[in-house]
Amino acid sequence: MKIVTKSFLRYLIRRRSLSLLQLMGIACGVAAVIGMVLSARSALSSFSDAVSFLQGKGTHLIERPAGTMDERILTDLMRDRAVRSMSPVLDRKLRLEDGNLIRVLGIDPFLDRQIRPELLHSPFTQRRGESGERNMEFFLDERAVFLEARLADKMGISPGSDMKTSRGLLRVIATFPNPSGEPLILMDIAHAQEIFELPGQVDHVDLILDDEVDFRSRWETGFRIQSSLERQETFRSMVGAFRLNLEAMSLMALFVAVFLIYNTTMFTVVSRRKDAGILRSLGVKRYEVTIAFLAEILILGTAGGAIGSVLGYLLSHFLTTIIGSTISNLYFFLRPTPPIWSFLILLSGIILGCGASILGSLLPLVELARTDPVEALRGRSASRRSGKKALKAAYAGIVVLMISLVILLASGKQIYMAYAATFGVLLGLSLLTGILLVYAAPALKVFLSLVGGIAGKVAAGNIRQNLGRSGVAVAAFMVALSMSIGLASMIGSFRESLAWWMGTQLRGDLYISNASETEVPLDFYEELRSINAIGGVDAYRKVKILYRGRTAYITAINAPVLQRFARFAWIEGGDEHWEAVKSGGVIISESFARNFNVRPGDTIALDGIGGSVQLKVEAAFYDYSTEHGLIMMDRSTYLNLFHDYAINSVAVFINPANPRRQELLDTVREKALARGLPVFTQKQFYNSILEVFDSTFAITRSMRIMAIVIAFFGIAGALMTLFIERQRDFGIYRALGFSTGQVSSMTLMEAIGMGFISFVLSCAVGTILAFILIKVINLRSFNWTIFFHMQWQPYLLTAVTAFLASLGAALYPIWKVRRNYPQMQIREE
Amino acid sequence: MKRLILRITMVLIAVLGVILMLPVPVPADGWKQAITQRSWHFPKDHGAHPDYRTEWWYFTGNLVGEKSNRYGYQLTFFRQGIQTERKNRRNAWSIHDVYLAHFAISDVGNGSFWFSEQVSRPGPGLAGASTHGMDVWCLNWRARMKNGRVLLDAKHGGTYLRLELIPRKPVVLHGENGLSRKGPLGGQATYYYSFTDLETKGILKTEKMSDPVNVTGKSWFDQEFGSHQLSAEQVGWDWFSLHLSDGRDLMIYMLRRKDGTVEPSSSGTLVEKNGRARHLKLQDIDIKPLAHWKSPASGGLYPSRWQIRIPPADISLVFSTTITNQELDTAGSTGVIYYEGTVSGKGTSSHKPLTSEGYVEMTGYAGSIGGVI
Repeated sequence: MKIVTKSFLRYLIRRRSLSLLQLMGIACGVAAVIGMVLSARSALSSFSDAVSFLQGKGTHLIERPAGTMDERILTDLMRDRAVRSMSPVLDRKLRLEDGNLIRVLGIDPFLDRQIRPELLHSPFTQRRGESGERNMEFFLDERAVFLEARLADKMGISPGSDMKTSRGLLRVIATFPNPSGEPLILMDIAHAQEIFELPGQVDHVDLILDDEVDFRSRWETGFRIQSSLERQETFRSMVGAFRLNLEAMSLMALFVAVFLIYNTTMFTVVSRRKDAGILRSLGVKRYEVTIAFLAEILILGTAGGAIGSVLGYLLSHFLTTIIGSTISNLYFFLRPTPPIWSFLILLSGIILGCGASILGSLLPLVELARTDPVEALRGRSASRRSGKKALKAAYAGIVVLMISLVILLASGKQIYMAYAATFGVLLGLSLLTGILLVYAAPALKVFLSLVGGIAGKVAAGNIRQNLGRSGVAVAAFMVALSMSIGLASMIGSFRESLAWWMGTQLRGDLYISNASETEVPLDFYEELRSINAIGGVDAYRKVKILYRGRTAYITAINAPVLQRFARFAWIEGGDEHWEAVKSGGVIISESFARNFNVRPGDTIALDGIGGSVQLKVEAAFYDYSTEHGLIMMDRSTYLNLFHDYAINSVAVFINPANPRRQELLDTVREKALARGLPVFTQKQFYNSILEVFDSTFAITRSMRIMAIVIAFFGIAGALMTLFIERQRDFGIYRALGFSTGQVSSMTLMEAIGMGFISFVLSCAVGTILAFILIKVINLRSFNWTIFFHMQWQPYLLTAVTAFLASLGAALYPIWKVRRNYPQMQIREE
Repeated sequence: MKRLILRITMVLIAVLGVILMLPVPVPADGWKQAITQRSWHFPKDHGAHPDYRTEWWYFTGNLVGEKSNRYGYQLTFFRQGIQTERKNRRNAWSIHDVYLAHFAISDVGNGSFWFSEQVSRPGPGLAGASTHGMDVWCLNWRARMKNGRVLLDAKHGGTYLRLELIPRKPVVLHGENGLSRKGPLGGQATYYYSFTDLETKGILKTEKMSDPVNVTGKSWFDQEFGSHQLSAEQVGWDWFSLHLSDGRDLMIYMLRRKDGTVEPSSSGTLVEKNGRARHLKLQDIDIKPLAHWKSPASGGLYPSRWQIRIPPADISLVFSTTITNQELDTAGSTGVIYYEGTVSGKGTSSHKPLTSEGYVEMTGYAGSIGGVI
């Protein structure tokens, strides 16, 4: 038995290039999974670390349902018998010179030390030994801040130096570590109120309560009270879609990787059929051959898994940065801590590598064990049989496909089930590859003869002849390419839908402040309104609320202005809905309607400052601004409900026919800039939204590239195996008088033929995938309808990828042919 | 007086929330100094004197519950000036001064000691003191005078105290008509007065009690304010406030110096039953520690039993702490470790037996206080 195993292992060394390719195939697959899973995990844990770090010892938080709170509430809180400790917080953002938005916490260090004792410990001790007067700067210098240490390092800021921000120059007097990785600025609450122009206001108060029930009984009306647990839950639900996206990406990496490894090992086994036949005919027992195979596979799996885990670990650092910037764009500025190397990563890599390898070798091994040694001796199975096998695979594929489709339709809100079903669909379609290849063979022959003459014709025949292997290679390549097309089409359609939506809702000529860091002063809004020639001024206010315990948003707008200037994309009906909005009704986004199962005509209950209020839902509209759901109401309704006069941004509409249009625009712009408010044209405003969109899908794009890399190794490995197997054929070609050039071009044609057919199939499968992603996955996880937009770019990109990958994969075999062809013999004959 | 050092230290340290990081700012800068004798106007002078940098209101008392269980309490409010003028008068958080409060309960019956502390700037009504009369608060702890009675109210978690204190003797002005000198130089002094005998009743509850208990007893109140800085020669102090069973009250403070000697300005006050006060100079007081207790937490070796003799008044007393551990270890927050606890003892006055109850405060035994200052 040892001898058999040894002989197998010697083969690995003899066929170095092939072994290396197989090894890289497994390594790449493992790397993709490890990289994606690790970075997703570290990003998500950084996320919740940041939240729990800032929660500190606080048990609850109290805030207004919308907007800020008058700080005079603090004396009532302080006297409340259920309150053990409290800390008022002004939680704001400002923009750094490099464009990043950074969170600023305005706190009172005296009160805050009960809630977050660690937060201020370090910056204050750091300054020990300096004069007492300088230590008091935090309270006395209006520009004094503490800056998170890693950000300070990155920006090259040391204590004592100044920092430019959108709120003017700030002076960093000390730095502090934040284990969660969220960059922060800490400021005395007095100074924060000044620089954010919120005198007498706080955003929320963190509390340590002795008796929650008792406390709630007194503070229920007009306030929102959330326990730490509820806050974490809210947060989890807020990032739910993002988490899902990351998990889906991890799953996709796993699927593609397992498929590739499966493919690789299958080749390993199939290409050794003949060797196995020889050994069996020499009297080696069936189980000895099987064990020898397994030893080979496990060595490849272990080595590939180990290399893959290291590569994956390196990859995860890169991906963590990408995910970090997406989080910063979507939620808050965060630099997730990259994962730390551990033995477990190596172990999981090896387990994954070996597991997928064994899975891949299972079927061929079973088949091999059953095969008669004489049959096996013939090496490659006959085409007739491979045709039958292809049919069998196709039947299996149809069954998988049907089951998957049923699951997909029945999965409802079960997103993970839907994802599993999607992969099932992909798997089912990939199983059809063999039979499609059989049917497509004549067409392929025509195509390749046109491209490469006789060499092309032979190449087409070869692909058909070696269906067992070429089918698997094409299937693997096709899956990877389909992923690429599917994801790209989904993103493209989404982007198109977003652009369409912007055109319906955001029709202002100028937008003053779109960024969350600035609010538009009320008097400025009034000032703009007083300019008669301006067609309309819309004051936009967006606040996060809890609806039935889940995150949702309320936006306040000027209904008469939007009625005149915007062209909302109503799901049903038309602009007549505005009349109801003007008289106190609300309209809801599609995501809200789906998320909370609310329909036009229903009433919803909102907790206002004076208690619960029933509001009638007039209509629903398409919206992509938040997947959590949006309730839109007229500003007057909103003010009645919440007494919150803050304005996030202002849209200015000027009649296109107005002869003074440009002059008015300039006036508004000057007025805004004079107040230090950012001004955006409609185009700039659109671009900033698209930027956020693009950043959201940065990680998806990385996954597309990874899929293509994996695909490359898949097709290269397959070609190489085919070539090695066909040494004998080359001898025949030589005997038939084929020149080196002809055999080279034949090899190239074979590669291109496989690439081409993979591409053609992936166009169909990719489109189906895109359709599922858009109509099922997105609709269910984000609760919004994306309109399918056919785009040629993903297909073109995939065509180029397929071509280049086939070319690249053929290079080594061609080089081999050119070197060895003249000496080739038909050794066996 | 000795408590001044502790209080300045604690207030300043609490200001920044961390131990030993903040030397006392250079004094005076625009703050009024206690240099000459002042004319006192009560009840106005029970209120705050915001022109002075440091000020405190200090309540301690010995109480008896329904089942003759004995308790001690401490409720103190400190005000520490940060800058003489608020930079931004429109903003409530703009700092002029900071308030710090300590709240401690000694349960003599079961030998347990509990304490808590709070710090706050005045902000929008979070802490403060009236300038018209006694009404000082730091978050939900408050001491105020209403119709000649002092009302104390403090709660932290399941522990709370609600007391009514009725002065049985008039105000006692320490030192020279309330000017208490701390050193040879001008300005090294504070204004210092006390209510030494306050009849006390109210309710008290600790976390360990299922229901609050009604308590009665005697309290002691000190108020002191000034702007001076103490010398670095001093390592700590011992302070005693004793109610004697013959109706007299005795206050003694001993300021300890690095070289082992006692600061010559250390002194005391003996208050007669009729409220008449008598200043005691250092040479009038003979005090000897008889036993010690070593704190397992801080390692500080504190006296736990004393003999005091006041020859001019023919008083001789031996007394000890009622619970061994009444150390306030605030190393995790304010960083100062000190001892503030109930004492009781026996002795004679003019050969007549008497008993005594009161409070002792000891600082500088665990970690140097002088170093901070």
